[in-house]
Order: sequence, then C-alpha cells, then structure tokens
Amino acid sequence: MGPMIFRRIVIGFITLWVVSVIVFFGLSILPGDAAAIQLGQAATEESLAALRAQLGLDRPAYIRYFTWLGGMATGDMGISNAGGATIASLIDFRLIKTLELGGIVAVISVPLSIFLGLAAAMYPGTWLDRILTFGTMSLVAVPEFLIATFLVLIFAVKLQWMPSIAYMSGGESLWEWLHALAMPILTLVIVVSAQMIRMTRAGILNVMNSPYIEMAILKGVARKRIILRHALFNAIGPIINVIALNLAYLVSGVVIVETIFAYSGLAKLMIDGVQTRDFPLVQACAMIFCGTYVLLLLTADIGAILSNPRLRKPK
Amino acid sequence: MTKKPEKTEVGYADLNGADKDLLHTALNRGASRREAIKMMAATGLSVAAAGTIVTSAKDAIAATPKKGGSVKMCPSLHGPDDRLIPAQFTSTVDYTRGRAHYNGLTQLNDDITPRPELAEEFSPNANATEWTFKLRKDVTFHDGSKFTADDVMYTMAQHYGDDSVSVVKTLVSEVKEWKKVGPYEVKAILESPNSDLATLMGEKQFKIMKEGSAEAYNADGTLPPGTGPFTLEDFQPGVRSRHVRNENYWREGANFDEIEVFAITDPVARVNALLSDDVDMVAQVDPKAVKQVESTDGAEIKSTPSSAYFGMCMMLDRGPGQNADFVKGMKFLHRRDKVVKSILKGQGTVGNDHPINQAFGPDFCSELPVRPYDPDQAKFHLDKSGITSAEVNVAEVSPGITDVCLMWQRECSKIGFDLQVKKVPTDGYWGAVWMQTPINVVAWNMRPTATIQLDIAFAPDAPWNDTYWKNERFGQLLQMARSETDPAKRHEIQCEMQTLAHDGSGMIIPAHNNVVDGHGSDIMGIPSLPLGILGGCEWPEFAWKA
Repeated sequence: MGPMIFRRIVIGFITLWVVSVIVFFGLSILPGDAAAIQLGQAATEESLAALRAQLGLDRPAYIRYFTWLGGMATGDMGISNAGGATIASLIDFRLIKTLELGGIVAVISVPLSIFLGLAAAMYPGTWLDRILTFGTMSLVAVPEFLIATFLVLIFAVKLQWMPSIAYMSGGESLWEWLHALAMPILTLVIVVSAQMIRMTRAGILNVMNSPYIEMAILKGVARKRIILRHALFNAIGPIINVIALNLAYLVSGVVIVETIFAYSGLAKLMIDGVQTRDFPLVQACAMIFCGTYVLLLLTADIGAILSNPRLRKPK
Repeated sequence: MTKKPEKTEVGYADLNGADKDLLHTALNRGASRREAIKMMAATGLSVAAAGTIVTSAKDAIAATPKKGGSVKMCPSLHGPDDRLIPAQFTSTVDYTRGRAHYNGLTQLNDDITPRPELAEEFSPNANATEWTFKLRKDVTFHDGSKFTADDVMYTMAQHYGDDSVSVVKTLVSEVKEWKKVGPYEVKAILESPNSDLATLMGEKQFKIMKEGSAEAYNADGTLPPGTGPFTLEDFQPGVRSRHVRNENYWREGANFDEIEVFAITDPVARVNALLSDDVDMVAQVDPKAVKQVESTDGAEIKSTPSSAYFGMCMMLDRGPGQNADFVKGMKFLHRRDKVVKSILKGQGTVGNDHPINQAFGPDFCSELPVRPYDPDQAKFHLDKSGITSAEVNVAEVSPGITDVCLMWQRECSKIGFDLQVKKVPTDGYWGAVWMQTPINVVAWNMRPTATIQLDIAFAPDAPWNDTYWKNERFGQLLQMARSETDPAKRHEIQCEMQTLAHDGSGMIIPAHNNVVDGHGSDIMGIPSLPLGILGGCEWPEFAWKA
C-alpha cells in the first residue's frame, strides 16, 4: 500500500498545480483586473495606471504567475491585490472558522447518517424506512438556501429562540458559541445527512442481494447480525466515499450558508476574491479546497482498501 | 406622541441643523421656555411659531441622548478590500468606519451645508479662489499626539500626484496648492473658483489622517490613529470592526459605548437579522421588505429622499443614440410615477432626465415640468428616426432597474418598437459594459452639491460623461455655478443646466432612490443627511440607544 499512497500524493500535487494554472487563466479571462474592479465606476486612465503599478499588475501575466508559484513553493502565499493585507492573515482566521463549523457538523452528521441509514436498511419497507426514504429524498431536492431561510423564519424571526446570524464578537462561552452557531449547524446537518443516509441505505441493500448474504439468511443468521457483521464492511467503500465528498463540501462549498448567516468562512472569502479579481487570494483558497479534496479522497480510498482485502493487491 | 401638530405649523423637526443645535444646547443648559422662545424669535420667527417650536423641541428633547449601550450595524457589502485610508474609501462600510474613527475639516448638516469640525472657521475670499481653514487647537489623535496643520497638509497631499490612488482626485484637482499658513491654519489656492470647497471637505474621503500614518499602515499594518469619537479596537477586513468610545474626544462626543460593524451581504438575511433583534441597524433595506419591517414591533424604517439616481444611458456617439429623434422618442416612454410606486414601492421620487431633485433644495429646478408619458409623441419621433429595434444591456446595479427596463420594453412593444433587454452580470459591469455598449444602465450615488452631481457625468470634458453628451454651453454654466455665491443667480444657472441635460443628453432618469435603512425602535437620533446610508453615515457620533 506504501507505493500506492506515495503515487497518490504525487498525483495530488500535480492536480494542485493544474488547478492553479486553470484558476490563473480563468481569472484573467474575466473582464477587468483588480485595479479596474477596485476603482469601479470611479476609474480613470491615470488612476488605473497608478493602481496597476502599485499592485504589480503592469507586469506580464506569466511573470506574475511564476512569482506567485515561487512564493507558494516557499510557503509565502503573497499579498492581497484588493486590500494589501497578507493572504496568510486573511485566510488564517477564516480557515479556523470553516474548520470549526465543518467539524461540528461532521461530528453530528456522520454518526447520525450511518445510524439512520443502517436503521432504514435493517427494516426495509417499514414505516421507519418509508419516512426516512421520503424525507431524505425531499431534503436532497430542496436547495440549502431555502432550508436556511425557512429555519431562520421559524426559529429566529417567529420564535426568537436562536439568533438569525452566526455572528460572534469574541470571548463567548462554549454555550454562547454553540447557540450562535446553532442555525448554520442545523442547516448543514440537514443538507449533508440526507445524502449520506440515502447512500448508506442503498449501499447496504445492494450488498444484501449478493449470494453470500443469501447463504447467511438460509443459515438462519439474524438480520441485525447479517447487516452489522457481514454486509456493512463490504458496503463501506462507497459510504466512505460519500462521506469524504460531503466533508470536502463542508470545507469548500458552504458559501450560501455562510452568506445567509453572515459567517466569515473560507468559501465566502474565495467569492470575494473572485469578485475583486484578487488573484493571490483566489489561488490560495483554490489550493486549500483542492488539497482538502485530494486528502479526503485519499483517506476514503485507504479506508476502502482496509475494509476490502481484494483491493489491496490490484491486478 | 399625544397630539399631532397641524400641518401648517413649523415644528422642531423643520429647523435646520444649526438652529436645532442652538435650541437643543439652550434647553439642555436649562434655559426657560420664555428664554428659548426669545432666542428663536431672534432668528426671525414670529413669537407664535417660536412657541410651537419650543414645545415640539421639548417633546423631542424629552428623549435627550443617553450615553451607553453597544450596537451592531450591518451594511450590505464588505470584503478583503475594506479600507482604513480615507482617500481610498469606496463603500459604505468604509465610510461608516471612517466616520467613527476620523473627523473632517468640516461636517455636513442634514441640508448639506457645512459646519465647523476640525476647522473651527472656514471662509473663501471674495471670488472663491482662495479658502482659509482655521483649525482647532485642542484636538488630539487617539495615540495622544496633537493635531496640527501638518496633518492636514499630509492628508491633502494624498489626493495629488501621478502615483496617487485617491478615488476623489478629480474632485479637488482645481485646488492647485494647499498652503500651511501657521501651525493651525491652512489655505487652499484654487485654479478656478469653487464656492463649495467647504462642503466638499465634509465628504468621507477627506477625513484627516495623522502625518505619516498611511505609510506606517501600508508597511506593517499599524492601525492609523484618528481624532474621531471612537477608537478602533479591532479591524479585520471582510469580517468586522469594533470601535470603543473615545473618552478623550475633543467635544461632547459619542453616545454608544461600543459599536461593531460587519456586513450581511444577503438582503433577506439582513432584514431578518434586524427583525429578530440580532443587530441594531441595517443599511439598504430592499423596497420590497419595507412593509415587513414597518409592521414588526421593535423595528423601523428610515427613508430619506436623496438625489441618488439610476438611469438608462443611450450613448450619443454610437448605435441608435446617434439619431436625435430616437433619443427624444425613447424619453417619452416612461411612466415615472408608476416606477416610483410599484418598483420602488414609494421609496423614491420621480426623475426628470437630469440628475438633480428636491434633495438639493434651492438648486433644484422645480419649475421644469416633468416629462410626461406620451406614446404618441414617442411613436412620432421613433417613426421619424426610422429605427425599429434596439438592445439595452442591463445589470442590477440598483434594485429594480431590470424591472424598469422590462417596463420600458413593454411600452416599446405597444407602439411597435422592438426593444431587447439583455441581462448581464454586475460583476465586471463597469469596465465591460458601461460606457461601452450603445444602450446600458447606470446608478450614481448622491454627491454633496448639485454642481458636482452635474459635473461628474454631464460636463463636456468629464471622464464619466456616460452618454457622450458634449454641450459647450453646459460647460460654461458649470464654471459659472462653481463661483456663484448668490443663491438666486445660482438657481437660474442651475435651472438652465438641468433643462439642457433634460433635453439634450442621452440619459433617461425615471426616478431617484430614497436612502432606505432599518433600525431598532430604541435607536434614536440618526441624522438625515441624504448623502449615504443612515444619515450619510453620520450616525456613529449622534445616534443613541433609549
């Protein structure tokens, strides 16, 4: 397995590099550069030229790219084109916020979904299964901004139990902190769990059709035992993959939830970066997101291999 | 409120800022009713009117500003590009922080007239080519250092030179020199007369920085000290800022103990945050949400008529705009009152195809009749032009502008003209579409004076003349308006300019937007300066929590 992991890490770095090239050219196709966006309606020829010179945007594109790449290789993410702050200082705080939110949601939603998914698979066709199948199907289909807005209307505006925004001034106690985060956590748990529950249920029911399970049934093994001892480990590969994709989504894709709850996370920062054409900032975010995907998928593959001996010796 | 004053009466609310201040201070000092009436009568009011005013003033002051409380205020935008250097301020979050942190040479009353701030006295010479600012001697920066003329010289220098990235460079380009006359006196020497320089100095980008602090900030992030009512405790671009009351402020000072400023970008979330009482003030409430806020206990709308406008630009140098009849015809196809009523939900005023409205007071040409909705005239001119189709590029640069264009499209199709409405993204709009495609849309904030408002997008040599309307007479009138200090003559000049723009430019301005913000019912004393959100961003020093 050692060489496999090594190979995957090398491929991971190549992916990161390719992404950085795509992001760079993607950003340069967009109309206007950082200077033009910053001055906006107030731009004149002279002020544009002055600002471009100040930001170093008057240099050719490839030089800017390689300067960035050189900096990145030595761990220097550069300086924001939009505000002049270092990228590290902008990202530092946001990354922690994103990981906090994503972490809590993962801790709640992963065990919850596996448990509910197993429960549904254990008693297929019962009312429990029907409710779960119907409920998750509906929730997968509803966009998250709608879920979030409804939750805010009910719990914040009408009942006033929870704050409508996840804003913290600093120095909160653990309880205040959880209270402030309750709404985004609830929204995200609903969004990611629905998908994971469905996948767990489907994965297990799929294995339940295989001959060796039929054998176990004929031998008279209890259904609970069949699922927990025999089916789960064979179904775990796809389940881990879905979990990994959902976790990566929690790091990179929760921009809508961040916007609605005014939560300063990383995804919103990247959108800000794109809107201000802030190349170093967008690149840094892209690298973090891409790195997260690479890492989580690698972990998922390792998990799948560990659970399935057949994958350990590829033909 | 127990009794509603009759409509004909003048009330405390009708006084201008200076008189209000005067009366307020007198009553707070403990002046008797008789003394107060005498004082108001001295300003030229009848004794009866003065009596009414003093009564209503006492009502208003029954709620005298209270110290204390901390508030959260949410504008609609922030990001990694939030600024602390006034010369680069471009968004309301910057303006608000700047107002809490710094002071200007002058400050603006609700009627956009200047009053002393860091300059205790300011005056032009006879033809407004030289302005003298005498500075206060008792002002210190937050770091304890004294404020002097050197700081003013340093701040003003930021707006000049090829490498200056100031966003208001062009506004002061006619000041050819700032001269330090003494340690507490500076002089501005102008190339051409400007009777509004003191007003301009009250704008957000001209707040005074401490000498050398911009370089220190750019070099290692040392927060620049200001002289303002609050000190900056925490500043994270795109996340939030926290300001604490400056106990050593050089005048009476702020009421709140602490304010926090952070944006909620989603308009629905912003209103929800106000309704659920999680924040105290929100900027830019969508006209559609006004009713919801008004019907909720504990939340209120503050709507201030302003001259901010949105419009459709038919560029006169390309496409169908080159045909004068096309332009003329198109201007007749707008139900202006309906735009205000249904699209702006009443939060606006009717526009008349020039950028000035009532918010500029005496400078507004009220005698110029509003262009009517007249499909027959429109058809006549459009038929004459021979043009049968056109395309307008619209981005939602101002709430409702897409709907306005769709309404325009419907009116066009009624008389058999094919107007295509092409929606384009706001992202990158100003560089790629505005002033590029033959017909596009624009939104402008209100400027501090009618002359600047006309200058910025209608002057023949203005870089942002967004319909390429070049009118020499208009240019001459602008020069005259700048140096004219007599209000009556100035009104005449203004009127001629507004009529010229109304008839000649390629700009359709169906309506002006009010400034519409929301705040908790316990927040009092927000000024009504129309130059920006929440009283022209002037609230930090004056608002208070009941």
